[in-house]
Amino acid sequence: MTAHLPQAAGMRLSCRGLTVAYEEAGRPIPALSDVGFDVAPGASVALLGSTGAGKSTLLQTLKGLLEPEGGDVVLDGLAATDEGFVALRREVGLVFQRPELQLFAGSAREDVAFGPRRLGWAADEVAAAVDAALELVGLPAADFGERHPYALSGGEQRRLALAGVLAMRPRLLLLDEPFVSLDPAARRALVVVLRRLVDGGTTLLLATHDVDAAWGLCGERLVLDEGRLVAAGPWAFGAGGEEAFAGHGLEPPFLVELWRRLGRPVAEAPRSAAAAAEALR
Amino acid sequence: MSAPLVDIAGLRFAYPGAAGPALDGLDLRVAEGEAVALVGPNGSGKSTLARLLAGLAVPDGAERATVCGHDLLDAAGRLAARRDVGVLFQDPENQLVAEDVEADVAFGLENLAWPPERIRARVEEMLAAFGLGGLRERAPHLLSGGQKQRTALAGVLAIPRRVLVLDEPTAMLDAGGRDEVLAAVRQVRAEGLATVFVTQEMREVGLADRVVALERGVAVFSGAPRELFADLGLVTRLQLGVPPAAEVVLALRRAQAPGRDREATAGEAAERLPLTLDELLAALAEAAL
Amino acid sequence: MRATITQYVPGRSPLHRLDPRIKVVAVTGLAVALFVRSSYGALAVFGATALVAVLISGVPARWFWRGLKPLLWLVGLTFVVQVLFARGEAFFSLGPIHLTWEGIERATFLSVRLVILVVTGALLTLTTPPVALTDALAWLTRPLRRLRVPTEELALMVTIALRFIPTLLMELDTIMRAQRARGADFAHGGIMTRARALVPVLVPLFVVSFRRADDLALAMEARCYRPGLTRTRLHPLVAGARDWLALVLVVAVIVVAMMV
Repeated sequence: MTAHLPQAAGMRLSCRGLTVAYEEAGRPIPALSDVGFDVAPGASVALLGSTGAGKSTLLQTLKGLLEPEGGDVVLDGLAATDEGFVALRREVGLVFQRPELQLFAGSAREDVAFGPRRLGWAADEVAAAVDAALELVGLPAADFGERHPYALSGGEQRRLALAGVLAMRPRLLLLDEPFVSLDPAARRALVVVLRRLVDGGTTLLLATHDVDAAWGLCGERLVLDEGRLVAAGPWAFGAGGEEAFAGHGLEPPFLVELWRRLGRPVAEAPRSAAAAAEALR
Repeated sequence: MSAPLVDIAGLRFAYPGAAGPALDGLDLRVAEGEAVALVGPNGSGKSTLARLLAGLAVPDGAERATVCGHDLLDAAGRLAARRDVGVLFQDPENQLVAEDVEADVAFGLENLAWPPERIRARVEEMLAAFGLGGLRERAPHLLSGGQKQRTALAGVLAIPRRVLVLDEPTAMLDAGGRDEVLAAVRQVRAEGLATVFVTQEMREVGLADRVVALERGVAVFSGAPRELFADLGLVTRLQLGVPPAAEVVLALRRAQAPGRDREATAGEAAERLPLTLDELLAALAEAAL
Repeated sequence: MRATITQYVPGRSPLHRLDPRIKVVAVTGLAVALFVRSSYGALAVFGATALVAVLISGVPARWFWRGLKPLLWLVGLTFVVQVLFARGEAFFSLGPIHLTWEGIERATFLSVRLVILVVTGALLTLTTPPVALTDALAWLTRPLRRLRVPTEELALMVTIALRFIPTLLMELDTIMRAQRARGADFAHGGIMTRARALVPVLVPLFVVSFRRADDLALAMEARCYRPGLTRTRLHPLVAGARDWLALVLVVAVIVVAMMV
């Protein structure tokens, strides 16, 4: 049985001239410079760039944890000064890097319930959201609900932390490097969960330096390099296959390179190994 | 033919209170200068073995457990093994102890009560060998993951070792850090140091002379990486991290003969899983696709 | 940020380069002598010495001011208490408050002495890196080993703790932001509410720290660390002629102060 979180339409997201800086030893360091882009509701977008390019900063600014020096974040057409913006911000979910480091409660259910409770929901609504979220991440409440978070494996802990955010029913989900330090089996399990989310209509922004994972899950991409946005929109590969990656520390996805080397049209490159196998038979 | 550096048979170990043994009669031999990859799914006993090899845990029993001539079943032997066997662990942060890179590399030698001039000379050697000269006075929390692991490695090898054990040293690093650390390990290997490399990435298995696969505390395979990569069923059972090139071939097999990939395909040993794009293209060309 | 936690300001002044053990002994001696001898002459000598040392150290005055600021309340309190409760002829009275010249004199004396004490102490911490300080204290307390006090191990513990403070602060920051992203609120509410709000932050920090302790212990053992064994140092403390000279100078200052 696959439970669903109630299908709410994904959020529309825009940025205009977003500039964020932080201080290090008294000197301001620009983390983001004049970033602007649009994401349609329900889109799944990869946020690419090497370490230090500003991906985490962007995600945290979108969630409102960091204040921009300049520019706006616009959610569903509303800006920070508009009525209702704060309520929309609550529908943005942010999953940090290595989120299992935040688990603190005595049972899986209790930890997942933290977010919904902070939103002020009634007890039965919280319980329903918790169970649905656990189901969605492949940790059904019946088996895992009362388990202690620290008794779970690394991959299970990561999915539990993800459930903690999903239980808050975000219409825009931001993920910061979800695959980092996962063993291969755990990585595969997480991809399955993310695919469910992508198919479910939530707007998804996935920050990663794993270009192949991004290729498999996302239809479009934003590329950051040292705080600047150097590419936005659907994947686009020129004759050389490099598109916007060249010079920004990124390699094109493996399957794209494979199609190019096989002399097949790069625009038709498959998104998964299974799709590649089908096309090659 | 010199005696093996690691000569273990029937090693047993269980964590107190655990449901079953972590190691249940494990055999392992490592010769001088050999590079052995240790693979296996979670819970197969890889990390436990890594610790036992370095004398950092007490075995429950074994027919034979000698490392660099020291008996792991004996307390003095374990202490001596710690000196000859270096271990690099997974978490870069939790291995650095001192206030800066230079002091951390010196830590092991300070523990061995080396005279300060010898320590200084050896530290210089290590900093140069691992490209850490410019980071000498950098505090650990200001280092990148790859830099931390290289510092830890320099600190481990500052003590002259006969075997180096690495327990998934790149698991917590990004691609750049992984490359840095693997380059450092390759360098160490090139100097002839015997290494035991615990990993779950097929990509890294390719670096080894020989692979030993663990499953539920016993060795179920020991042979060349090429043979392992030809056994598609085993690769799947061991839950190895498969590079995209190999994923395509595995998907092709599944598409062509659903259910067949579960069987050991020893008879088709000529085919092996490709690790790189070029190997995949070659394999596809062979199969005339 | 580092200077605020450990109070060390890097530099190459003669004070910076002095053997830390000499510095600890000198500062301790000066502090004790400051309180033993209660004359204006002594105060002037100690004050002048401190001033000269501050100038030699090359550390900007604002660092000393920062060290003094938290204790200003104590200086102020001392002053007020002395003024209010002094004996002698009042030159001004308002109700229960009698101000006397003796009171004001005494208050000034004690306040100035306190300031000199703080500045002298700051000279030590501002010119000595924490690890050097720990090494010095470990060496000086070595006789305690005969009483089974593990001075070397304690020194190492302090060094390791200092090394991890910035790491812990970064982790604290990250965990707080991550829980804020789940709706946690650390800024509002009374004491009890805020204390409870910290549970989702403190529990993970504790867990991380315990796991870290396990990992670190293993890594240290893998590098042949064993408590109780003598360890050598990469940069051993070596006292040279310059250091002994400094100590002699300080002793001279104390002797002079005692006589003035």
